Amino acid sequence: MKKIIFVGLLILVFAFAVFGCGSNQQPADNGGEQQSQTGEQQQSKEPVKIGFFAPLTGPAAADGESVQNAAELAVEQINDAGGINGQLVELVDYDDGLDSKQAVNIAQKLTNKDNVVATVSGSYSGPTRAVAPIFQRAQIPMISAYGLHPEITKAGDFIFRQSFVGTVQGKAGAYVAIEMLGAKKIAILHIDNDFGSTLTESFKAYAEANGAEIVSIDSFSFGEKEFTPVLTKIKEEGADLVYMPAYAGEGAQIVRQAKDLGLEAQLLGTEGVDSTTQFLEVAADTADGLVITTNLNRDSDREVVQKFLTDYTDFTGHAPDMVAASTYDAFMVLASVMKEYGTEPAQILEGLSKVKNFEAVTGVLHGYNDLGEVTKAVQVQEVKNGEFHSYGQIDDPEIITPPNK
Amino acid sequence: MFLQQLINGIVIGSVYALTAMGATLVYGIMRILDINNAGAYALGAYVGLLTYNTTGSLLLTFIVGMLLTGLYGVLVQKLLYVPMLDKSPNVSLIASIGLFIFLSDLIRMVAGPSIKGFHAEVPFSSIYTDSLNINGAWILIIVTTFLLLAVLWFLLNKTKIGLAWKATAQDLETAKAMGVNVNMMVALNYLLGYGFAAAAGIMVGILYSSVFPTMGDVPAYKMLAIIVLGGLGSPVGTVIAAMVIGLAETLIGGYIGFFLPRDAIAFVVLIIILLFRPRGLISKN
Repeated sequence: MKKIIFVGLLILVFAFAVFGCGSNQQPADNGGEQQSQTGEQQQSKEPVKIGFFAPLTGPAAADGESVQNAAELAVEQINDAGGINGQLVELVDYDDGLDSKQAVNIAQKLTNKDNVVATVSGSYSGPTRAVAPIFQRAQIPMISAYGLHPEITKAGDFIFRQSFVGTVQGKAGAYVAIEMLGAKKIAILHIDNDFGSTLTESFKAYAEANGAEIVSIDSFSFGEKEFTPVLTKIKEEGADLVYMPAYAGEGAQIVRQAKDLGLEAQLLGTEGVDSTTQFLEVAADTADGLVITTNLNRDSDREVVQKFLTDYTDFTGHAPDMVAASTYDAFMVLASVMKEYGTEPAQILEGLSKVKNFEAVTGVLHGYNDLGEVTKAVQVQEVKNGEFHSYGQIDDPEIITPPNK
Repeated sequence: MFLQQLINGIVIGSVYALTAMGATLVYGIMRILDINNAGAYALGAYVGLLTYNTTGSLLLTFIVGMLLTGLYGVLVQKLLYVPMLDKSPNVSLIASIGLFIFLSDLIRMVAGPSIKGFHAEVPFSSIYTDSLNINGAWILIIVTTFLLLAVLWFLLNKTKIGLAWKATAQDLETAKAMGVNVNMMVALNYLLGYGFAAAAGIMVGILYSSVFPTMGDVPAYKMLAIIVLGGLGSPVGTVIAAMVIGLAETLIGGYIGFFLPRDAIAFVVLIIILLFRPRGLISKN
């Protein structure tokens, strides 16, 4: 009996080893395949390596899978269109498990061993913040696809951000609440991490300066599912709007439980819930009427948006979310810059600082400022019949211009 | 508002009671802390969702989910926990943590990392008044928990199996010498324990309309607080402790605000109560 168990355990260990190695070797395999598929005549040139990391395992694995698909789609399309002036792009990707320590190891590997020319972070603010100084020291440009903490780009001039910084989105949220939704008494219910506290601070500052009253601020931890106690309290306070910087999992529970409790206040969300599969599938019809600020406008008639929506759906079998669109854009910006300025890190840096009116899926990028922050319009979306639709767009430079230091 | 918060608290407490009951039963007999109960909770929710989506029957969802997860429990105790019984309890504790991580990653690899919607038709309609809202799913949870706990109480207190369970829990060796089929008791124990965890997982899936691979993470440590508070291995203590923690979380969250993460409240309550009752709310000694 004991022997059988021992053998069984041994098999388990082997299975782990195989699975583990399998995912580690993915970048090499992908690169190899793409090379043999499209690049037989171009074999003389070494591929351009772009680093990438995302939380493929752990609590944010769904976002991880989403951005991983976006990255693979982007690289495939770049290579199908002839690569960077004939040179193929190779994706060197890793799983950070939403763990900053793991992300730091990955950053060391990407900068010292893999010799990537640029990197895209497909992870949250926490891990992205932790690795930004490493890429700065190694003088390799990094674009944070959707991490919104202000500290990320402050690591130095090699660090850029594809999505607007939290302070812009928080301000935009308060603008929507007061100017577009007419809120006077606002309750805030935010996730207790970099994402939630950044948005809350800037939302509160703008809302209070513009005459709204913040009646209460409550926070919850990542993975929280039970909001009836705090929503019951908010209902008693008589708030006419609830601002909820939350991710899809928690956000879906907030809107469902708010409906169960008969909370009549308008709910205002952020890009954190901008996901069809993660958010709308769970919240279902209770999400109707929710308004969010985000990067992605699915109703846009710009060609690049509609093409991405179709391509991504064909590629994965489900509709893309905000994180996928932002990640895709980060790769496309890099490709366009490398085509024009060259594939050396210093050339990419120069190119990024000169980006102007780039047609990205998440809006027209007016350019990156000295800090590496992007300027683009903030999208306001409303959920109608279980789908995100455009509710408006904020172009006011007063609001969308990111801080420069 | 107080009545609303009270009902919120009872619903949360009911879920906790079922979640921690599996671990309590296992500790009661085996004297090991089985973290993998939280794995059974997630597994049960997924099996339940699969059953619901294929059959559309809520009753079958619970039966199939509990039965299959219970059988998984019987399997792991035969292959893993029983062979480790003569080792230090730390060995099986670590093994159960490993098994839990393995199981949630296995679920992720098979079912995918995204949240899956669990939209079940609940046979109770929601009640709405001016001051009170009661969701149909809450009624389902309270009724199901009460039913399952009643069955367990009957089993433990009114049948020979219950007597054998108690004898085994008190002293495994002596029970064996007195002719109790200890192996069967241990297997039955896991069948029930994991089955209860599965029922809790299914109820939470329905309550929050969603299941996801890491859904066992929070129960994995919170159930520890509950079984320790309940006096380690006492089923009645576990139910009381679950209600105490469920109510503490809602009332503190509702009246004082979330000055702490809600999950921390369970541990604060645990510390305060252990200061006065170091053996837990209900202890055998």
